[in-house]
Amino acid sequence: MDFIARKLKVVKAVALVTYKEWSAYRTHSMVSIFVGPVYFIVQYFIWSAVYSRRTYLNGMELSEMLTYFGVTTLIGYITMDFADWNLQMLVRTGKFLTFAIRPIHHRFFALSQKIGHRILGLFFEFIPCLFIFVFIFKVDLRPASYFWTIISVALAFLMNLYMNYTIGLTAFWLVQATGVRRVYLLLQGIFSGGLIPLVFFPKALQKLLLFLPFQYVSYVPAMVYIGRYTLADVSVPIPHIVGLQAVAVIVTALFSELVYRLSMKRFSGVGA
Amino acid sequence: MLRKYIRIYLECIKISVSTAMTYRLNFLLDNFIMLVSNILFPLVTLLIYGSGAEFPNWSLYEVLLIQAVFTMSTAIANIFFGGVLWVTMRHIIEGSLEIVLIKPVNCLFYLVASTVEFGSLTLFIGGVVMFAVALSHVGPVSILMILQFIVLFLSGVCVMMGISLIMAATSFKWVGNSRLPEIFDSIKYFGRYPQNIFHKAISAVTSFIIPVAMIGYFPAAALLGEADFTAFIAILPCFVFTMGGVLLFRHMIRLYEGAGG
Repeated sequence: MDFIARKLKVVKAVALVTYKEWSAYRTHSMVSIFVGPVYFIVQYFIWSAVYSRRTYLNGMELSEMLTYFGVTTLIGYITMDFADWNLQMLVRTGKFLTFAIRPIHHRFFALSQKIGHRILGLFFEFIPCLFIFVFIFKVDLRPASYFWTIISVALAFLMNLYMNYTIGLTAFWLVQATGVRRVYLLLQGIFSGGLIPLVFFPKALQKLLLFLPFQYVSYVPAMVYIGRYTLADVSVPIPHIVGLQAVAVIVTALFSELVYRLSMKRFSGVGA
Repeated sequence: MLRKYIRIYLECIKISVSTAMTYRLNFLLDNFIMLVSNILFPLVTLLIYGSGAEFPNWSLYEVLLIQAVFTMSTAIANIFFGGVLWVTMRHIIEGSLEIVLIKPVNCLFYLVASTVEFGSLTLFIGGVVMFAVALSHVGPVSILMILQFIVLFLSGVCVMMGISLIMAATSFKWVGNSRLPEIFDSIKYFGRYPQNIFHKAISAVTSFIIPVAMIGYFPAAALLGEADFTAFIAILPCFVFTMGGVLLFRHMIRLYEGAGG
């Protein structure tokens, strides 16, 4: 119990400082209040045109499609992450040393930072955009189940962190990990479902995507929000897919710990 | 005077090419990533048509033609005016714009010339390939259509330049905001699709006020034989928009106050 209380104290302290640090740049976050709705308007017209001669496309109706894009945008604000960028910067500049000697795991520190940073995102990105989507664009954004949605979004939050963190760790081998990061972000952009629902991809690719971790960042929480999950003609009940997502998060966290330990063997620093 | 500027510009291009040749791997990687990340949005179109759906009255290759033109324009803009935002932003943050201002050349010219960067060369080639493929599927093209295309395409490139300059000018006041391009990227998004899918009020804005329709849609429409009166009227706002960018940037330079860099 004492252990958990101490951990929570760390989370609170780091999150609060990060929040304050980034609030100085809150207008940067507020760019989303313009960009998010503008992209949504474009999507609205694209899909209204596409659906003008049909009711269903790959098993989705127009209203579901619009909800999907609204939801992925909003979930993106909650789960957004740049642990990879941060970590590779620390490694390249040698500043990681100051974390290596602290009595907390750097990944835990990164998690706490992310919590603070995303609380800022909640106030300056998520809530304003939610209001615009619901009250101006009249998109139905009531989740099928609040319980499963909150769990799934929380898992996506962790998934994104652990995956990005592992990518950031490659900096211990590559020093300049920008290339790897950009390729990874690109793959994630396409295969997480942020671009278009994954059911639009060719069947063979959908089958492959079932086994890749990308879908757990965006597609899975969005479909849990909508209330039904299908990929590669496999329909999974919501509690099961959230369970699978939880397993994926644990596996990714363990994998990132493994890579972390390997990289610590490579690490050497001189008084940064 | 003009000859001096041309000489400086050519010299800057030479420097940029030799930089690329020195850091070859970085250059290739930049090019690869730029290509792949910009090929994404035609992917959405392919997936829509691949699912058996379509934009009403538009064939796949007609839509791809718009997107190929948009891609070529993006690549040209990235090469020739893409760097001006970042270099201006850095000078503002560091308070070092004086270093440019004391040079005996026009500040805006110098900033644009010295940031020519060929990281989007492959993207341009990719755009041309896509353009050729799409064009070969859309029927015969007359000489007149090609001439119309060239005029409209160049107008579209001017819009891209205007956008780059407006962003750079904004960075004088909105200091260090690396998300500035996102704002304009989201507006440019309207130029990537057939304009008749949008509400009339929106396509009026994208044609005459922030003329992003000129980047992809109007030039492609010319090649499809559908460039009407509107397309040519829309050339005027393009040049007004670009001039607006130049004037805004010059105004911001006048407002700039430094403390010795």
